[in-house]
Amino acid sequence: MLESIINKINSSERINFDEALYLLRRTDILDLGELGNIIRFRKNPDPHVTFVVDTNPNYTNVCTIDCIFCAFYRHPGEEGEYTLSIDELIQKFKESANKGVTTILLQGGVNPNLPLDYYLELVYRTRNEVPEIHPHFFSVSEIVGMAEVSKLPIEEVLQRLWDAGLRTIPGGGAEILSDRIKKKISHKKETSEQWLNVMRVAHRIGFKTTATMMYGHLETDEDIILHLESLRKLQDETQGFTAFIPWSFKPGNTPLEKIIPHYASSTRYLQIIALSRIYLDNFPHVQASWFSEGKKIGQIALHFGADDFGGTLLEENVHAAANYVSKSNTDEVISLIKKAGFIPVQRTTLYEILKIYN
Amino acid sequence: MKINFIDKSLIPIWEKIQNSERLSFEDGIKLFQTNDLISLGKMANWYSFTKSGDSVYFVLNRKIEHTNICVLSCKFCDFAKKKGEPGAYEMTTEEILSKLSDEIQEVHITGAMPPDWNWERYIDIVKSIHSKFPKIDIKAYTAVEIDFFHKKFKIPVENILLELKDAGLKTLPGGGAEIFSERVRRLLFNQKIGEKRWLEIHKIAHRLGIPSNATMLYGHIETVEERVSHLVKLRKAQDESGGFLSFIPLAFQPGETGIKPKEDFTSAIDDLKTIAVSRLMLDNIPHIKAYWVMLTEEVAAVALNFGADDIDGTVGEEHIAHDAGAISPMKLAKEQIIRIIKEAGKVAVERDVFYNPIKIYGNKIIGKIPYLNSIPIYHNLKIEGYKTVTLFPSQLGKMIANGDISAGLISLVDYFKNKDKLKISKWCVSSRNKVQSVILFSKFSWENLHKKRIGISEETSTSVLLLKILLLKKYNVKADFEIFNPSLKNYSEYDAILLIGDNALRELYNPKKDFSYTYDLSEEWYSWQGLPFVFAVWVEKQNFTDEIIVDDIIIKQNIDKNLSNIGNIISYYKSTISLSDDKLIEYIKGFKYEINEEENLAINKFQNLLEEINVCLKV
Ligand code: SF4
Ligand code: SF4
Repeated sequence: MLESIINKINSSERINFDEALYLLRRTDILDLGELGNIIRFRKNPDPHVTFVVDTNPNYTNVCTIDCIFCAFYRHPGEEGEYTLSIDELIQKFKESANKGVTTILLQGGVNPNLPLDYYLELVYRTRNEVPEIHPHFFSVSEIVGMAEVSKLPIEEVLQRLWDAGLRTIPGGGAEILSDRIKKKISHKKETSEQWLNVMRVAHRIGFKTTATMMYGHLETDEDIILHLESLRKLQDETQGFTAFIPWSFKPGNTPLEKIIPHYASSTRYLQIIALSRIYLDNFPHVQASWFSEGKKIGQIALHFGADDFGGTLLEENVHAAANYVSKSNTDEVISLIKKAGFIPVQRTTLYEILKIYN
Repeated sequence: MKINFIDKSLIPIWEKIQNSERLSFEDGIKLFQTNDLISLGKMANWYSFTKSGDSVYFVLNRKIEHTNICVLSCKFCDFAKKKGEPGAYEMTTEEILSKLSDEIQEVHITGAMPPDWNWERYIDIVKSIHSKFPKIDIKAYTAVEIDFFHKKFKIPVENILLELKDAGLKTLPGGGAEIFSERVRRLLFNQKIGEKRWLEIHKIAHRLGIPSNATMLYGHIETVEERVSHLVKLRKAQDESGGFLSFIPLAFQPGETGIKPKEDFTSAIDDLKTIAVSRLMLDNIPHIKAYWVMLTEEVAAVALNFGADDIDGTVGEEHIAHDAGAISPMKLAKEQIIRIIKEAGKVAVERDVFYNPIKIYGNKIIGKIPYLNSIPIYHNLKIEGYKTVTLFPSQLGKMIANGDISAGLISLVDYFKNKDKLKISKWCVSSRNKVQSVILFSKFSWENLHKKRIGISEETSTSVLLLKILLLKKYNVKADFEIFNPSLKNYSEYDAILLIGDNALRELYNPKKDFSYTYDLSEEWYSWQGLPFVFAVWVEKQNFTDEIIVDDIIIKQNIDKNLSNIGNIISYYKSTISLSDDKLIEYIKGFKYEINEEENLAINKFQNLLEEINVCLKV
């Protein structure tokens, strides 16, 4: 089987579900990494690893979705809940811009008390008052929430966000695109088909987005490959995804911790990176998520098919809430990429090159 | 195995590795400098597989640091305190004992060098542990401490080590080697012993029958050349004294030490390269350890595919690394270790201090004997869904009887003992007439061996019983048997010694003055019975489904292919024995691997004779 998979890869053919399963279950990790690397260098022949100078604040932690893998949210009225005003956020963004940040990855809980105008105004004012910043705002769950609160169709919400100036959307909230699993870990969230559909509609309007996957909880190997398959199909249709970002579930302080007490191992992460690089042949980039897997494993992932190091994340609260602290900054990211044997390249959210650190 | 080299300059090195050629200093440098991490890893992983199969060893251990009060003040150390300083501590023997329990297999004792302890106190620690917990293996005191004892108590190193050994010490830890470079020693460790003394103490220990371990501290101010030279020096020492069990690269933890390394923590790429290059350079050290406490659990897990075959253990307390800010959790439970090993695609093998396997975790495992004569069966034998674990025949016999192993070659006697649990196949290792690897070296002829002392090693049940039958039934003499350890090479203390496997082969071409008689036991059997002798048989564990794990056809094809290509294959294995290729090929071609009528007769005959001399074949 491996032989025929290698042949396919060498002749740039697509691998199918069974072959992917074979790679995940039966293939030595370094053989898998080698294949991931071949494709990585075929797509991006330079030894460049891109990163974006960004920060990842949150505007609210109020949420009613109750995902059992989440340690971040508070119910409305619960102690510790917060929602920032638009003024406060703009102020924050300005401070970030002064530190050289070019992208703000903004996400929050699904807060039923926030009207659609809050989001639209936030985008609009960010564009106008902090033009140095590219807003990379709102995951699918929040967009679905906006549609519910405003009683408007998804298309309309997305169109209004576009008109306000939003151009890219983060790919969070996908978890595992399997309704069997979603029912168990996030039963109030949108279904897999809804998630894909929001992305489909967004891509049609012109948005670029990333796609994520959170594994290492209740999913099976098959679920992982089906997830990749759904993404590959949609990408064939829309070409709207820029990058794929997998990460492992972090059990700390979450209800799911009781069932899944451990992190998935680093070996598993490298397998997933390599496999997704092979399977998602129509995705331009695969991102090493050093903030969730640790800097060291992030570096290793660059040799297993990842070609992007994500953001510098000057602020990050979601993993911090699960006691998984990983702070970094631009200099350190540059040094990590160099030490991993690559040339760091600062990029925009849309993967345009800003600066090559040779 | 195929490697898709991105860095083509590695190809000549890979060829050397496959031909069992020793790598040079320059090769080591090149390996460190490459950016082709995956290819480097694949080479090291392949090489590790030829040594240990898919095994990754771990031990239920506990680290004891009896005191942190130190007369020295090494720059990189933020563990040591001066007497009276806040945080300074000294443990009594009782306190140490209270930290141990019967579940622990190995205790690792190292500490600082306090000004006012007497020699008895150190001995007492070892003695007390040994008497209260006789099952715990004691690994204690680094070469730096041994040298300190020597200077402080004015006792020769030999005597120190012998006293410790008598008290119950099994091995020495590998700490204190730092990096074998005078330049770095002057800058960072100028109060510590240098490489010469460190190696000298370990060599003395090896000579006294105390195996040890070795380390290298990297990621501070050392150069790549200094790292490679450290490895080359260790390799040379191991050629001379042979007692290093494992090598442990230690990533430097800067913490509060004030030493400015080139970066805060070693990069993961550097960690993996160091593991891989160590595996490839140290061709004579059996095990490479990914010490998770220093590397972090995550990097250690990846290192298991980059040449490491040991992940240390459950550790317990680890002050030195912890105080300096290592980010690993303090305790990594056994289950977690097993899980990490499994997810890395390897087999977790719980071990003792000498790397004897205690328990194997996992199913679907094939046991592999590391002897030359089984190469035709094992070389390239990959069974889909099965892992391979390398074991000596006696261990394999036990493990397969326990059900820990699914299939493998086991000694004929082990098969007799466990017949009801095992299925025998068509495959064996047998010889007709000379075998060359089951040899009695004797000072006396057969007839004169009556009442003489014969040294036997314990891993040889079938051969030992063959010897007993020959003595009793063929020559009517009764000799005395004593267990001895062939690796200590104190052969001449015995009237005769029985060597088997690669040991025997090695010595056969290495004339022994002391022994005027060299008897090939298979030849002796053949001239007596006119039958081949069957040493080992391929068996599979009985299962409910009656499913055959390794198809006859697969083994047959493998044997045919390997034998027709033996000239090339032999080069992978020859580094263990310094014989010419021709001699090795001739040796292997002397074996038969299929059980036919004559082999069956021989098996039955041997079993009957065993019953006649009243050897109990029931367990
Ligand atoms: S993951 Fe997002 S949607 Fe789910 S509970 Fe947390 S904040 Fe709410
Ligand atoms: S490294 Fe060892 S010898 Fe040096 S100060 Fe620390 S405890 Fe003492």
